[in-house]
Amino acid sequence: MSELDKLGIVIRYEFLKHIRRKRLYVILGIALVVEAAVLILIPALRDGYPGSVMVMAAMLTAGPSLAAIGAVFFAGDAIAGEFEGKTGFLLFTNPIKKMTLWSGKYIASLAAVGLMIIFSYIIIAISLGAIYGEVPLEIFESFGVCMLFAAAVLSVTFLFSAISKGAMGATVMTLVFVWVISGIVQSVLGFTGNPYWFLISAGGDSIAMVYGGMEMFMEGFGGMTGGMGAMLEGYKVPTVGETCWGMVIYLVGGLALSMLISRRRQLS
Amino acid sequence: MSEPIVIENLTKYYNKFLALDELNLRVPAGEDIGLLGPNGAGKSTTLKILCGLIRPSSGKAYIDGIDITVDPEEALTRIGAIIETPEFYSYLTPEDTLNYFGKLRGMKSENLRKRIKEVIGLVKLDKWARVKIEKFSRGMKQRLGLAQALLHDPPILILDEPSLGLDPRGVVEFREIIKDAGKEKTVFFASHQLVEVTQICNQVAIINDGKLLTYDSIKELKKKYKSLEQAYLKLTGGSIE
Repeated sequence: MSELDKLGIVIRYEFLKHIRRKRLYVILGIALVVEAAVLILIPALRDGYPGSVMVMAAMLTAGPSLAAIGAVFFAGDAIAGEFEGKTGFLLFTNPIKKMTLWSGKYIASLAAVGLMIIFSYIIIAISLGAIYGEVPLEIFESFGVCMLFAAAVLSVTFLFSAISKGAMGATVMTLVFVWVISGIVQSVLGFTGNPYWFLISAGGDSIAMVYGGMEMFMEGFGGMTGGMGAMLEGYKVPTVGETCWGMVIYLVGGLALSMLISRRRQLS
Repeated sequence: MSEPIVIENLTKYYNKFLALDELNLRVPAGEDIGLLGPNGAGKSTTLKILCGLIRPSSGKAYIDGIDITVDPEEALTRIGAIIETPEFYSYLTPEDTLNYFGKLRGMKSENLRKRIKEVIGLVKLDKWARVKIEKFSRGMKQRLGLAQALLHDPPILILDEPSLGLDPRGVVEFREIIKDAGKEKTVFFASHQLVEVTQICNQVAIINDGKLLTYDSIKELKKKYKSLEQAYLKLTGGSIE
């Protein structure tokens, strides 16, 4: 039996795990609630929807972005959980290479997150079609960037899962890294006029940026004046292409490091 | 293979703690060998190395002549194991779990289905075969652990306290299953239960502080020390006399 056959088996059973767990439906529910909130609150708090379909499409990416962050909850226990929950005592006595095992877990997690992202983009497409009578083609680009972001977040989570004793620690560390640390560094670099394309949080922003730059977004809401507008003037907003390269670094680097570390890890 | 399990100068450190100290042991084919020793003696460490769960600091461990550190996947095809109290994925049923592990071991679907039914029947989990494991007691998980160890009909069984958490009836049933399996297989079996070991094994290896104290037949040990219990206590540093 080849390792490829075994990889297929691991993917199948890991995917079954995600489907049977409540967390998939909870994250999907939250993503849908966020999209519903955007659809309800914008016309309620201002005079109708923005004139541009692109601005509204960008606003609605909050849902799939959240779904992509959901990758953290799928993968936090992927490696650490086998050691913490001691399920590894059974799994690791099967004749399968650790590399195959971790790869299968990664692909299954990405498939589960992908499923949620696809679902939330279908909701976006239906909503835009209903409100504006059109769906911009950029939605496919946004979907691609969102999948890349999810894959990068998943890799970072795998890395933290490989070095953490527990699944909860891995989950919290990833969330702090992606949302807090990376976000703060991005703000500092942005306000000081420095490039920040290499930060994972910048990758998350690009999911909406494919529809247009910051200016288009602000214009759609009547422009930005005062101190905030002046502050944003110095921003060197990275292109979507640049942030994609940044996400590829996290994807490849995180996954490779997590595999190396977890291969050496012992179940004592 | 005349000696399916060979341990040569096996040494294991956990940081500075010496768990195994140049342990040497050879288990002949078809024998049921008990591995005895007090808590922290190195029993579980030995079994974990044999199952590829941890790496030795030095020394070698062979399964059917295959160095477990060089080709663990090939060595593991020969082994069925229960290490510590088995923990399973709670969202799967016993059938799902055995299907997963059976497929990873390359068992064909039709044969696997038949075998799953057999081993689930053997450990008396028939009524629970399609119930999620999250509802299982420790004893039931132990039974399922034995089912997965026997699933692929391996020539070698490595068992670490297999009857832990079982009720008295379960202990008796387990003993019978292992004794029966031991007629055709090599069983290497760590336990604190001397009675259980006496009833299953022909020979015992007693270790303490990671060192082999004796490796002999139970019959011989009884001759020398009156009983296995006396042999165990004297060799590991105490006496009930």
